[in-house]
Amino acid sequence: MTRARRPSRTTMVGLVALLATLAVVAHANAETLLRTRLNADIRSTDPGTNRDANTDGVMAHIVEGLVAFREDTSIGPMLAESWTVSNEGKTYTFRLRQGVKFHNGAVMTVDDVVWSLKRWLDPATQWRCLSEFSASGIARIEQIEAPDAQTVVVRLDQPTALFLPTLARPDCGQTAIIHRDSVGPDGKWIAPIGTGPFKLAAWKRGQYIDLARFDGYAARSEPRNGYTGAKIAEVDRVRFNIIPDSSAAKAGLLSGSLDVINSLAIPDLEDLKSRPDVQLSITPALGLTGILFQTRDPLLKDVRIRRAIALCLDTTQIVDSVMQGTARPNNSALPIGSPFYGEVQAHGYTQNIAEAQKLLAEAGYHGQPIKLIANKRYSFVFDSAVLVQAMAQTVGINIEIEVLDWAAQLDRYNRGDYQSMSFVYSARLDASLSFEMLMGPKASQPRKVWDDPEAQEMLRQSMMTDDAAKRQALFDAMHRRFIEDVPMIVLFNGAELAALRKNVKGYAGWLYPQPRFWGVSIQ
Amino acid sequence: MLGYLARRLAMTIPTLLLVAVAVFTLVRLIPGDPVQVMLGDNADAAQAAQLRAQLGLDEAFPLQFLHWLGKVATGDLGHSITNDLAVLPLILERFQVSAVIVLVAVAAATCIAVPAGLIAAWKQNSALDLAVIGSATLLLSIPSFWLGLLLLLLFGLKLKWLPVIGYVPFSENFWQAAVFMLLPIVTLTVLEIGVLTRMARAASIEVLRLEYVTHARAKGVPEWLVLGRHVLPNAFAPIWTLIGLVLGHLLGGIAVIETVFTLPGLGRLLVDSIFARDYPVVQGCLLFTAVIYVVVNLIVDLCYPLFDPRVVVA
Repeated sequence: MTRARRPSRTTMVGLVALLATLAVVAHANAETLLRTRLNADIRSTDPGTNRDANTDGVMAHIVEGLVAFREDTSIGPMLAESWTVSNEGKTYTFRLRQGVKFHNGAVMTVDDVVWSLKRWLDPATQWRCLSEFSASGIARIEQIEAPDAQTVVVRLDQPTALFLPTLARPDCGQTAIIHRDSVGPDGKWIAPIGTGPFKLAAWKRGQYIDLARFDGYAARSEPRNGYTGAKIAEVDRVRFNIIPDSSAAKAGLLSGSLDVINSLAIPDLEDLKSRPDVQLSITPALGLTGILFQTRDPLLKDVRIRRAIALCLDTTQIVDSVMQGTARPNNSALPIGSPFYGEVQAHGYTQNIAEAQKLLAEAGYHGQPIKLIANKRYSFVFDSAVLVQAMAQTVGINIEIEVLDWAAQLDRYNRGDYQSMSFVYSARLDASLSFEMLMGPKASQPRKVWDDPEAQEMLRQSMMTDDAAKRQALFDAMHRRFIEDVPMIVLFNGAELAALRKNVKGYAGWLYPQPRFWGVSIQ
Repeated sequence: MLGYLARRLAMTIPTLLLVAVAVFTLVRLIPGDPVQVMLGDNADAAQAAQLRAQLGLDEAFPLQFLHWLGKVATGDLGHSITNDLAVLPLILERFQVSAVIVLVAVAAATCIAVPAGLIAAWKQNSALDLAVIGSATLLLSIPSFWLGLLLLLLFGLKLKWLPVIGYVPFSENFWQAAVFMLLPIVTLTVLEIGVLTRMARAASIEVLRLEYVTHARAKGVPEWLVLGRHVLPNAFAPIWTLIGLVLGHLLGGIAVIETVFTLPGLGRLLVDSIFARDYPVVQGCLLFTAVIYVVVNLIVDLCYPLFDPRVVVA
């Protein structure tokens, strides 16, 4: 019988070293995957055309435009190195960054930029923002040309402060510069070949969207800032799982099947706060929640009744209760995060029950019912309606809540077919657009809440000038009229709530309610 | 047999035509405009009109119906308003997911419920019977979303035995797919056991009271043989009818279970399409569900002679 030889000390050390090396190599080769959630599938991969908020959010990782929104909602350069404005605000000259590559390896040229911009303006593309550049829009684009290999010139028929913000709008697909192979010879969309930090790897409809890191990405030198600045992909892949049910998404996060869930529902917040393996990201957002009044309604056309409702509300209490401390009260049409939000905008309604009762008596209100439409898709919209109803009751205002599904409410909103409505507006990244979404002639645009020709003239002026002081003065004046007329009661701007596993680093929400996964890593 | 089949299939045509009219009309009666849902709160009238024309929604209602019906007759259910996908392939793709869950769950539920009902009937009014019928009633009362979430939290979150979210098709990886499908199948099985057990028990009690059972027992046939050979085959016809109805109902979509377990099935497609007012997909899903109902019931009818020789298909 022979005894098995014991391995020598040197052999053992060698084995351990080999295993350690293998482990390090395996770790280095292991793909880093960040898993997140979308509450519904994207509409398409064609930015700015068949889109919704989820589509915009995913596509922002794949494509880029000449300019983009910064975190303070100002406009910064993206694929443009810089730009100049001349000819009394009618000519924009963009100097392009050099060495930017598309996902297919081709280097971006002025021809690609001109081709992309012309494609957006082709009605066959069905670009969402085409009407902005038509005769009835902010300005008409008269000419796009490339005088040299680094410069693109865009000529407008009239000056407008909204040209760059419109180009940068996420719902306009950031007016992305894409490679022409993104479409077929017939002009039909194939897949996005953009310049973003991630490229589209897979889209399993109804299941997930996979984005893979683009290794040839040319990042800007400035730090990440909104949708501009350096967009460094720190993970190899991002997977957007389609999970409609928020409870399932929460369970996915807690079990470790998901790394990030954004657009959290307020009721989930308290539970997640106490979880040791979860961190929260709470960021003020630009969305606007409030109570709309139909100023053509026989009852609510009386400004005294609208004002009485405003004066019986304790906005702070409503916001604290509905948003659980994640948002601040705001009665202005301008969001708190706007650079034009100042002392004037901070002045809104103060609860005054005696004054409210006096106004109601003057208006001859005798408890006639006022229908308030709400929906349960957005819990804070319904909760706000309930609290408004309860507070209005204290001065004898009889509000009856009617709950509709979102599509039905949107239909009523667009037709102006309501007495009052608890409603949420999506984010507008420019101050003029924050007012524009509310203002207009009801005769031709029944969805508009505030029909005041003088204020509309102020709005028009704010769109024509890019002088910040002039714009501020106009916005201040518009705010005062808005509070005086009470066409709606703005209650608060929402908050973007995200829950992350503790090992997720670098995630930061911003005013625009879509997540950004560049600069985000998993440790 | 073939003549019967042809007659039954011919009878489905007016049924499906009626369903088509009802579906097309009802979908459009729901308040809400797909164009406005797509464009959101900042769409102007020109954009909305352009999109409406592009989707053919600006045509008169009867014209829209005739266009759609003409396409349906050729097997084309149209294209989704939201993502421009062809509706029929989309439905078939999603149906595969729902069908696997439903067929396996109903088969499993039948295998558990029929013996349970039979034994409960055999031991009628005993403690065992009470336990079976009590459990069945309890299972019947459980809402599917609640049970689904409970299982998800227990096996996915607490014990970490099974994945909480995700889906892998069987064609990609059979075992992974089975792991993802396990919880939804268990949930549906548990829920269906209740209704099938009650039916199995009721049908078995009726048969147990019949003279030929008494006769068999008087001859000294062992109880297991009485139950297996005389009671079960004769009690199975009404259970089979119920299975057909359950299958027809569930194959049309198990939206709640699919939503809780994040499965891309037919039910979720239908619900998502209703919220998006995606008319072609809603119409396609409902018409497809009607066809499934008809086909399942036809198969059930054709299978009757297997369980009851007195039934002749002719």
